[in-house]
Amino acid sequence: MRKFAIVCLTLALGLVLAAGAQAAETIKLAVMEPLSGNFKDIGDRYAEGVKFAAEVINAKGGINGQKLEVILVDSELNPAVATRKATKLIMQDNVRHFCGGTGSSVAGAMEALGDKHNTLFFTYGMAAASLTGDKCNRNFFRTCASTDMQSYALATWVAQQGFKKVFCIAQDYSFGKEATAAFIKKLKELNPSVEIVGEVLHPLGTKDFAPYVSQIISSGAEVVFTSNWGNDLTLLLKQARPLGLKAKFAGYYLNDDLMVKAVADDEAVIGSVSAEIYMLSIPGQANADFIAGFTQANGFYPTWLRGKAYAATMFWAEAVKKAGNDKVDDVIKAWEGLTYDGPAGKWTMRACDHQVQQPVWIAEMVADNPYFKHAYVGPATMVAPEKISVPCQETGCKGFAK
Amino acid sequence: MSDLAVFFLHGLAYAGLLFLVSSGLTLVFGMMNVLNFAHASFYMLGAYFAMAIAVYTGQFWLTLAVAPLALLVIGAVVERFLLRKVHVLGHVHELLLTFGLAYIIQEGVKWIWGNNPQAINVSGLLASTVHLGGIVYPVYRLFIFALSALLGLGMALVIYKTRIGIIVRAAVNDSAMVNALGINVPYVFMGVFAVGAALSGLAGATAGPLLGVFPGMAGAILVDAFVVIVVGGMGSLGGAVLASFIIGQLQSFGVLLFPDFSLALIYMLMALVLVLKPEGLFGEKS
Repeated sequence: MRKFAIVCLTLALGLVLAAGAQAAETIKLAVMEPLSGNFKDIGDRYAEGVKFAAEVINAKGGINGQKLEVILVDSELNPAVATRKATKLIMQDNVRHFCGGTGSSVAGAMEALGDKHNTLFFTYGMAAASLTGDKCNRNFFRTCASTDMQSYALATWVAQQGFKKVFCIAQDYSFGKEATAAFIKKLKELNPSVEIVGEVLHPLGTKDFAPYVSQIISSGAEVVFTSNWGNDLTLLLKQARPLGLKAKFAGYYLNDDLMVKAVADDEAVIGSVSAEIYMLSIPGQANADFIAGFTQANGFYPTWLRGKAYAATMFWAEAVKKAGNDKVDDVIKAWEGLTYDGPAGKWTMRACDHQVQQPVWIAEMVADNPYFKHAYVGPATMVAPEKISVPCQETGCKGFAK
Repeated sequence: MSDLAVFFLHGLAYAGLLFLVSSGLTLVFGMMNVLNFAHASFYMLGAYFAMAIAVYTGQFWLTLAVAPLALLVIGAVVERFLLRKVHVLGHVHELLLTFGLAYIIQEGVKWIWGNNPQAINVSGLLASTVHLGGIVYPVYRLFIFALSALLGLGMALVIYKTRIGIIVRAAVNDSAMVNALGINVPYVFMGVFAVGAALSGLAGATAGPLLGVFPGMAGAILVDAFVVIVVGGMGSLGGAVLASFIIGQLQSFGVLLFPDFSLALIYMLMALVLVLKPEGLFGEKS
């Protein structure tokens, strides 16, 4: 009998201790990014942003008293690999929160996992409009602009500038097509008299842009819209100037400092504009503080992807804080309708499709900038959220099945 | 009219680049019967060497000399210590060896220079433009074409008009006989492979300023180089010249005339050639 009592006591003690350990357990956030292969530079930069957000959060005591633990996962940009690694984290380490910015195919895999295991995924970089459109999902949040919003912002700028002749060039896959279509749609709406003097799609990974550039030149375009990224943007800009293109670009991703460095010709980028939800030159104390803190901790600027991932993680942390715990259902409920005032302006998570409503910033590339020796973004001006918003009923999201 | 001339120039410049890239590949295949999968990786190494030299010295002309020399040495080492060992085992082993080598070089480049894209800057005359009867055209693109034309001419002269060329061609046809005549055949093959590698190094150094320097550049060019030598005829120098010219123009005018399937045009050409003349335009029937 005494033995039994001791066993009971030990068990009870064990349970109490386990419960105590539970309370002090960390909140885990897994970052699904390509950390090897050709898109490593993209994944690394996103991961740096998330990691810094965790440092800031933990320095202030964590979320609801729990420390935030960031787990970096190499998605290899492969949905099957991402599924396998994420499943292991869900089963073995009880990870419930995931984020990522690269590859809509990975997003699809993570949505499927979200349905199966009730996990949450937020993206700070995947732009395909359909992710919060007809493919919208209760467990999926987007904290960056969709192609619609980013294209609308550029169209707003082009219309404001009074350009009459516009050329569109984009990569020949769903992203490039979506971006161009949204741009043209909005531009025609804002200025029906504008003329689209050319619209071309080129294969991904085009090496010689000369034939395309000659077409742009002979079209007489005053401005060139492009959603190109990576090498397709570098080579387009790099090859266009020597061939005599005078028109400037209005592009999605010109504020990629590595890209500007690879162009290695400031004259080829100066005067063109970039539209993004985060850039270094966004005015305000919140951004100045973020840049100062990040630069001090890392020794380099939180450009582009780093800033996007940072602000997204802080926003997610706000939702967890509001929920009071990290249970996925509670966080989803808390995040819907939540507003976050961060380095990139005021963001509100829309409940109908889990697409953030946020300003997009436009900046011209200038030679003199406080950040780099090479050309980079000048002062950023805001395109207000309401100007680029896609109404709930037009997104294609039919509500969330539960 | 001047518009068409511009597109013709674009085609010529790109053809020049294609020939630079494929000349070494076709040489090694034609003379040694080795399909070198690491060829594009040599090309990438050439570009990275050129970038490093350009960053240190600021002399672009120097890169055009040093990058090929470095690849000449690497090519000789690869042939002497790796390829020669597996030669007796047959083509599949040679293929696998060069395939593995391509991976090692790929990862090595990332390890040394990182993942970020880099640039080679040209300056002075090469960075300027020239007026050609109403057309303003970048000198660098013309330079690529001129360099490849000179190279093609030089290669033809060496292979068909000099004693070295005769020995190499003889060694391909009957290596035992050439060996019996007192010529060191393994040495000849080492030289051929080294020159093939040097040619891809030159191609990389030349392409760098136009196409950028990044870890994915080998994969990006490999397919193009193979299409050129399949269309032209495996191992045929004249075939590589003709195929480069056709593909360059097809690419340029394809964008102008059939923008929706400009990329497919090249593969359609390859399919057509393979159906009508499987050995390639100038290839020899085996």
